Amino acid sequence: MSQLPVAGASEVRAHAMILARQHRGEGLRMLSLYALAAAVALVPAWIIGQITNLAAHHQLTSALITREVGGLLAASLAYAGLSFLARRRSYILGEKIFAQLREEFLASVLALPLVEVERTSTGDLLSRTTNDIDALSRTVRFAVPEWLVAIVQALITIVAMLLVSPLASLAGLVSVPLLYFSTRRYLRFARPGYVRERISYATLSGTVAETSEGARTVDAHRLGRRQRDRIDANVRENFYAEMYTLLMRLVWFPTVETAFSLAVATTLAWSGWLALHHSISVGAATTVTLYVVQINDPLDRIISWLDELQIGQTSMARLFGVATVRDDRPAHGPTPTSETITVEHVSYAYREGRDVLRDVSLSVRAGERLAIVGPSGAGKSTLGRLIAGIDAPRVGSVRVGDVELASMPLAALRRHVALVTQEHHIFIGTVRDNLALAQPDATDENLLRALDAVDALEWVQALPERLDTELGTTGHALTPAQAQQLALARLVLADPHTLVLDEATALLDPRAARHLERSLAAVLAGRTVIAIAHRLHTAHDADRVCVVVDGRIAELGTHDELVALGGEYASLWRSWRNEGARDS
Amino acid sequence: MADPGTPDIRSARHYLFWLARLQRGTIVAATLCATAWMLSQALLWAAVGGAVDHGIAAGHPSQLWKWAGLIALLGVIQAVSGALRHQLAVTNWMRAAYRTVQVVGRHVTASGTALTDEIPSGDIVNSVGADAPRIGMAFDSLARFIGAIISWLIVSAILLSSSHLLGLIVLIGVPALAVLTTPLMRPLHTAQAAQREATGRLAALGTDTVAGLRILRGIGGEEVFLRNYRVQSGLVRRAGVRAAVPQAALESGQLLLPAILTSVVTFIGAHEVARGTLQPGQLVAFFGYATFLTTPLREVIQYTIMATRAYVGAGKVVRLLSIEATVRDPAQPRDWPGRVERVLDERSGIHLERGRVYAVVTETPAESSALADRLGRFIPNVEGVTVNGYALGDFSVSDTRRHIVVNDIEPRLFSGELRYELVPHGTSVDERILAALNAVSALDVLDALDDGLATRVDERGRSFSGGQRQRLALARAFLTEADVLILVEPTSAVDTHTEGRIAARLGEMRREHATLVASTSPLMLERMDTVFLVSGGQVVAEGTHDHLVASSALYRQIVLREDS
Repeated sequence: MSQLPVAGASEVRAHAMILARQHRGEGLRMLSLYALAAAVALVPAWIIGQITNLAAHHQLTSALITREVGGLLAASLAYAGLSFLARRRSYILGEKIFAQLREEFLASVLALPLVEVERTSTGDLLSRTTNDIDALSRTVRFAVPEWLVAIVQALITIVAMLLVSPLASLAGLVSVPLLYFSTRRYLRFARPGYVRERISYATLSGTVAETSEGARTVDAHRLGRRQRDRIDANVRENFYAEMYTLLMRLVWFPTVETAFSLAVATTLAWSGWLALHHSISVGAATTVTLYVVQINDPLDRIISWLDELQIGQTSMARLFGVATVRDDRPAHGPTPTSETITVEHVSYAYREGRDVLRDVSLSVRAGERLAIVGPSGAGKSTLGRLIAGIDAPRVGSVRVGDVELASMPLAALRRHVALVTQEHHIFIGTVRDNLALAQPDATDENLLRALDAVDALEWVQALPERLDTELGTTGHALTPAQAQQLALARLVLADPHTLVLDEATALLDPRAARHLERSLAAVLAGRTVIAIAHRLHTAHDADRVCVVVDGRIAELGTHDELVALGGEYASLWRSWRNEGARDS
Repeated sequence: MADPGTPDIRSARHYLFWLARLQRGTIVAATLCATAWMLSQALLWAAVGGAVDHGIAAGHPSQLWKWAGLIALLGVIQAVSGALRHQLAVTNWMRAAYRTVQVVGRHVTASGTALTDEIPSGDIVNSVGADAPRIGMAFDSLARFIGAIISWLIVSAILLSSSHLLGLIVLIGVPALAVLTTPLMRPLHTAQAAQREATGRLAALGTDTVAGLRILRGIGGEEVFLRNYRVQSGLVRRAGVRAAVPQAALESGQLLLPAILTSVVTFIGAHEVARGTLQPGQLVAFFGYATFLTTPLREVIQYTIMATRAYVGAGKVVRLLSIEATVRDPAQPRDWPGRVERVLDERSGIHLERGRVYAVVTETPAESSALADRLGRFIPNVEGVTVNGYALGDFSVSDTRRHIVVNDIEPRLFSGELRYELVPHGTSVDERILAALNAVSALDVLDALDDGLATRVDERGRSFSGGQRQRLALARAFLTEADVLILVEPTSAVDTHTEGRIAARLGEMRREHATLVASTSPLMLERMDTVFLVSGGQVVAEGTHDHLVASSALYRQIVLREDS
């Protein structure tokens, strides 16, 4: 099982730029509100400076106090009001952008080429759909806005400091090199630590999950003690990961805090010295010092969100990576002239130099039933995937009529061939939703007819809401046989002329499958059927049997021919069907 | 990892107090550091005020240096106490979270299937993945919460000593503000809960689409699913937009309310400065104190949220911990009677002798599982089952498991090195493992692995196919060399060729012991010494496969799929 690609840094940047351009107007309005709020937030410290000046010159009167504190209160009210507007706007924008990103991601998942869908591990795609979407949610909704806001606040504060006294502001710069180097170092060393933390906690959850899901096996094989020790070991590993990042922070946090107070101390000393020499007023010295204290907060936020931004970037790269896989099937193509399936000199390899199929040739005429049998790993399923048009052969050709299956537009391919596997996923949604995906414009009558064909009408009509009954993980639970019947009903609706059955009923208990056979028979009626068989009774009923051994067709013929041949198939058949029981 | 001890599971509160008692030392230390850390932030303002009064306004450069130096010193104290506080807070987080993980882990591994019968596996995983960290977070922020209260009291005392009025305003004002913000929290929580729920549905839709992607891409319906996802995504977005107003209100409220306090303090302070009872620098300090107090205020609000979440989490953990194993040892377990010669189930009539292989054929899979549960003692009441003539229920559970091994219809593999997954107990030479893998026709599985027996099995063994997992689990069952082995549908997921090979080698593998296979496959049944046909919980016919094929219509119907 392979992994999907991850987008490169430049692709992520380009995507981010596109997003920024798309939402430029709203973004700028939000940032202007934040800038206004930040500017108003600087008024109180300035007023305190004014009061200090007045006091120093013994000019502080009751009227002046009322005026100054009135200004202070008005500024506070304006600050709260403006931050409310700005924050509300930024949350709304964050929700909008995040919704756009997740919808684009799901669209790219749903556009993945068939071959990629078959090849990719579900785990990889699932973790992108859950973990990365979660991580991106935090980044887009909180980290990016908070970070931008902090930058705006810091910039505005710097401007204000320069306006009050450029000379006095200089001292604040002492903290910059300390902050820069300690943060750069921290980010470089801490990031792998956080990755390790997340992985180790996921491993811990995984151990608990497999232990509780496998409770029965744990009990039967007395594995409780061992699983307990493993949980302890996972906890220990997470502890070490936590200790590592803690150590990183134990260097970084104090450095940052020291840098901040160093900036306050030097600014106070320097501006106080300037005030003592009457270069600036007492009030200006006070205000600049207060500003340095104030700027520490946005600076702190700027550097502490960097972590989260990096995580978000990684997730973005993984989400955008899915969109980089393009379907190379053409949108239009020629229409096949016949329904005959032709396999000609086909070889196929998953890994270079290791052919799973070797020079296989086969022709299946319309309406024929062909069973493919053979030991595990002989290449039966691979042959099935090629005939279903999911993948193209390395060498040779697989055609329906005169058209190459692998280069057929997907919508056209579906009208010709369908691959049916033992997977019978029931989607969250109504019975109707679950069926209509095969034929979106189907009427209820069509749906009911399809259900009737597979023997499922009776129990569907007995459901509380019939076609509108909610199914899936959160809805009404179906038995495996019912789920399989719905899957078969989908096929009736999709109505391809050829079906490739890959062990479609193998995992079901034979006693349940027996009932399903009738449903299956209804679906198969009038179609070309290529059945990859585990159980030999399927082979017995087929028009021809194809025995695949070691990537080659070893035997091909009718059941009776092959039994008479006395080869591989015959010996299997004899052992499967006890001589004494044969009644035909 | 140290033993976590025995939790107090009378209630969520008891559980949290149990955790707290076990880490009271670090909680106290963290509280001291948190207080020092916050006070040094507050006292910074006293130093700024001092510098303004005694240095700048009074025209004494040496005083200015002194106060500026004091700020630097406070900065160092703040940095050091802050680092220690953080370290201790993380320690508190880890102790509470890890201890919870450990007690849950111990319980999960010890309670058999009783726990998973009651609580979905997802919830159990959640208690480790979500509840334990939440409980940890409450302990992480506990010290800051207490420190916030202490520093608020101390700042109030400082203000009281220079102005009764200002002191009282702060002493009463801060708790009043904390109470005033609570009405802002409720609509936010409601809106957030609605958004979480909508998000949960959206996430389920997303994972559902991925899980069924093969079908969607194979048969169609992408447009419908994308449309459904977009609709739900829009609902989540609108829920988020609804949460934006209370969220922004709470945050600007947290700015506004303290700002009013600051204005009041500044107003009164400025009048005292005008009267000459307060120095301008002191006013700067008071202004600073008032702005500082937003920090304790925020900590208190934060802790309230954390503590609520932890309480809910602890409730779930306690519920999980109170479910006990149903199959338990008798008061006085009997010693195991040596090698098992004979097992008899009086109720069904199944009897097993050492050195023979048996099969049981039932009309439904559920009946086979019920028989395996009974003979393997996975249900509390096994009356009528005897081992060498002694009642099965008289032995300890661990002795039973050691000598009677049940290989389920869906046996699980676990992550770890393949060699030790196949032989979890004791040691085994590789030849024996290879012999077992050969018996289950799984040497090809081994050949495909890069590191052979040293290969690491993925979580749940998911990198193997269903058939491969089944064969490996069967090999594991053989390798136990248990006196009695019960195999439920051991070859349901393998192809006919392989099934035939496994059936042929089974008797040889189990020559010395007793074996019962629940199966309906003729390939398997024809290799058995005796086949029991069970209907309605009773053996209705027994004999060889050939004998039953010849004599029983029911048997032919089940095994040969003959229509009656």
